[in-house]
Amino acid sequence: MSITGKVFSIEEFSTFDGPGIRTTVFLKGCPMKCMWCHNPEGQSFESQIVKNTNGCTGCGRCLDVGERLTGKRTLVNESISACPQNLIRLCGIDYTPQELTAKLLKNVAILNGSGGGITFSGGEPLAQVAFLKQCLMILKDHTHLALQTSGYCDETIFKNMLSYLNYVLFDLKFIDQDRHMQYTGASNTIIINNFKTLCQSRAQFCVRVPLIPDVTDTAANITAIAKLMNENGARYVELLPYNKMAGGKYAMIGKKYCPTFNEQKAVEIHDEIFRRYGIEMNVL
Amino acid sequence: MTQRVKKLLELLQKREFRNCRISKDLNITRQTEQMNKIERDIIRLSVMLENETPLIFEGERIGFNRTLYEIPYYIDENGNRSGLGFGNFTPDYANVISKGFDQILDEIRQKLEGCSDGQAEFLKAAEHAVQSVLKFAVQYKEEAKKKNNTELYEALSQIPHKGAQTFYQACVFMKLIIFTLRCNANAHITLGRFDQYMYPYYLKDIQLGVTNDEILESIEEFFISINMDTDLYPGVQQGDNGQSMVLGGCDKEGNDVFNTLSGLCMQASLELNLIDPKINLRVSKKTPFQLFELGTQLTKKGLGFPQYCNDDVVIPGLVKLGYDYEDAVNYTVAACWEFIVPSCGADIPNIITMNFPMVVNDTLHNFILECDTFEQFMEKVSHEVRAECDRLIESSFWQISLSPYASLFIDGCLEKAMDLSQNAAKYNNSGCHGAGISNAADALAAVKKLVFKDKTLGKLELLDALNSNFEGLEDLRHSLLSCPKMGNNDDYVDQIACKLMDVFANYLNGKKNNRGGVFRAGTGSAMEYILSAKKVSATADGRKAYEPYGSSFSPALTTNLNGPLSVIQSFTKYDMRNIINGGPLTIEIHDTTFRNDEGITKVAQLVKAFIELGGHQLQLNSINRERLLDAQKHPDKYPNLIVRVWGWSGYFNELDLPYQEHVIKRTEFSL
Repeated sequence: MSITGKVFSIEEFSTFDGPGIRTTVFLKGCPMKCMWCHNPEGQSFESQIVKNTNGCTGCGRCLDVGERLTGKRTLVNESISACPQNLIRLCGIDYTPQELTAKLLKNVAILNGSGGGITFSGGEPLAQVAFLKQCLMILKDHTHLALQTSGYCDETIFKNMLSYLNYVLFDLKFIDQDRHMQYTGASNTIIINNFKTLCQSRAQFCVRVPLIPDVTDTAANITAIAKLMNENGARYVELLPYNKMAGGKYAMIGKKYCPTFNEQKAVEIHDEIFRRYGIEMNVL
Repeated sequence: MTQRVKKLLELLQKREFRNCRISKDLNITRQTEQMNKIERDIIRLSVMLENETPLIFEGERIGFNRTLYEIPYYIDENGNRSGLGFGNFTPDYANVISKGFDQILDEIRQKLEGCSDGQAEFLKAAEHAVQSVLKFAVQYKEEAKKKNNTELYEALSQIPHKGAQTFYQACVFMKLIIFTLRCNANAHITLGRFDQYMYPYYLKDIQLGVTNDEILESIEEFFISINMDTDLYPGVQQGDNGQSMVLGGCDKEGNDVFNTLSGLCMQASLELNLIDPKINLRVSKKTPFQLFELGTQLTKKGLGFPQYCNDDVVIPGLVKLGYDYEDAVNYTVAACWEFIVPSCGADIPNIITMNFPMVVNDTLHNFILECDTFEQFMEKVSHEVRAECDRLIESSFWQISLSPYASLFIDGCLEKAMDLSQNAAKYNNSGCHGAGISNAADALAAVKKLVFKDKTLGKLELLDALNSNFEGLEDLRHSLLSCPKMGNNDDYVDQIACKLMDVFANYLNGKKNNRGGVFRAGTGSAMEYILSAKKVSATADGRKAYEPYGSSFSPALTTNLNGPLSVIQSFTKYDMRNIINGGPLTIEIHDTTFRNDEGITKVAQLVKAFIELGGHQLQLNSINRERLLDAQKHPDKYPNLIVRVWGWSGYFNELDLPYQEHVIKRTEFSL
């Protein structure tokens, strides 16, 4: 029996996830909990019934079904087809590697024609490594493959996966251990080790830094990131300035978005720091 | 942009100049009572021009701005008010601009010798029209002199009596032609291949030492000038005025003819940000990639153009319909997207509409119960599509009005001393829209899957659901909405769409119309994706009663789309050469995708991929504010509206209200 992976979105024509025209596959589930996470539906490893609250007339039919089937006023699978506005869907679809790759390969001519390919993102795609590996093995001879990762993954696994990839988009958030723990719920020791492995490998890659006002965009943090990059010979960084829409999808999964930083504040772009370390920078 | 152009642009954008227009009730019924229609129309033009007052804005060198809101009218013997004349064509500007009206008058007089009475009537009317125009031009010349506008004065000392000598004079002449055709009740005057017929004037100027910057200034003044009066030509909606311009494409030998002048027109459009001219780019597999990038820079402006037209598909398609290769290769675009030939064509490309979802729905209600297989049912649908073609042809017998003045701009009319309404033009074909193709194909796919294959939906059950507009039947509607949809690169439904188009086009193409021409099947909808849809109750694709279809050749509004890569593949499966009346695929892309060179390149690659797949026509939108606001009110209508948020994309509907507000606010500045 083939293993399956859980996918929460497949985005065609993603234009900022690597070179050329790409299709990005978002694998569900993440071991980290970044405070500014803009894909909260990608955090849980379980499928979820999600409801788009905009356009909801409050007719209650979705909850009526839940009550009838479980005794509780809650969303169930059957709520999806009960909604007159078609606002409810299942987030997290199980695919076998064969199913997923067949779907992706339908567009491969256009992807290759543009010098693009397929990007796996998440959640944290390396958290479903067995599934990911099988997909990459099937796709390897057909197109350019990229991985967008937090780098939070077993070091042997990480090293092993690099041989299947043409390009890696590697997140660096904090170099300071405590702040990393505070804002992402995870230690960065593994991440920094994996980053060093990446730099020593033959894989092409870029570093990505989410700029969060007064959190990651501080001169001290940016200097530490630039320094680490420089020490390991990394020469290219993409900055993703915080956008006030990050919390837009929390209501959909019944959660509240609670940033402790000031969302309204403009982020600092320390281009001079990267320049000083000889690192090319691009703001997305 | 020069200071002078900047000032003219400000003048245009403030719109205050329109305050000097006046409304005059010019009823010429009594004074023309004894006349026939041809004479009445000519008097209408001369009365109009006599009542117009020359208006030359400070710093402008073009002139011919309207001061009257309405043109004169008469009530005919049947009690009808005189209406619009022939329109939606590309006049042969080059002929008149190069010769000047004196030579045209000579040609008319030569023809008058030994012609028939009917021909004489046409020729005299045409002569009268030209005399009125010449008289009117003198008023402008005098006004230019009075205002010490040396350049315009000198231009009008040459044209319109004599042919234009310079690029600038040719621009003034063009404006005069457009202005007077409008005064003659001709609507939707398109600009055609401006970069081709103006190129000789460009080259001559350059040889005499005129710089590209100076040419650009003339182009920009001309573009501003044709925007001055667009409020007077509203069409269906403000902006629907037909001022399309076609740039690039190939010549008879197949060479790419995108030239320096084409590039300057693109630059002017990029700098001015105006609704006119609506740029159409003719492209092909051979088009250099940089042109797709330049086109994408223009898409980024959010104006909804350029529209791309694929020479590899359109030219053979037109040849198949009977156009000579030399004419097909010169094709232009009418007011919206209809492929027409300039100068020698008097086609009416939008005369009837095939309402696909209506035909499918009627067939469903009338015949589903007697069908045992989907193939049987599809046979019935095909039969009904053909029957509807016959009904539409029957309804389209239409006499176009006489238009001696406009006839001077259509090759063949003066040669034959015949009005264009007497079918003097080389081509007199009629076009048929094809509205709601995707909704119809989706409905058929749902019937095929649920009724005949899975057998989870009874025939009567489906009919009842449609009759009740799915009231209380959300589960059933959801199962219809979950069936394969056109736009997701799924052969299950795409092949049904191909079959529908094939039946439609094979039956209609080449059928004779009443003007000595043939019918042409197309994929456009014009406003019919709303108007025709309003007549149609709930359909089996899950669309509720009276809701709109996708516009022209686009996915249905309720489709959960995989994305643009699947869309362009779905909409290029049919051999589009066979259904070439026109009608674009529309793709919406959020404006933030265009924010850097990388994004521009990728959108350009998407367009190139579409062309290579054999798509016929494509229009891209950088998402606009009105749509976002509507999406807030009716999120179910826009399930695929994607917004770029922060290094990532999300569905607009899935964002909380404050975040939606933010996206909308951002469009205030970026669009």
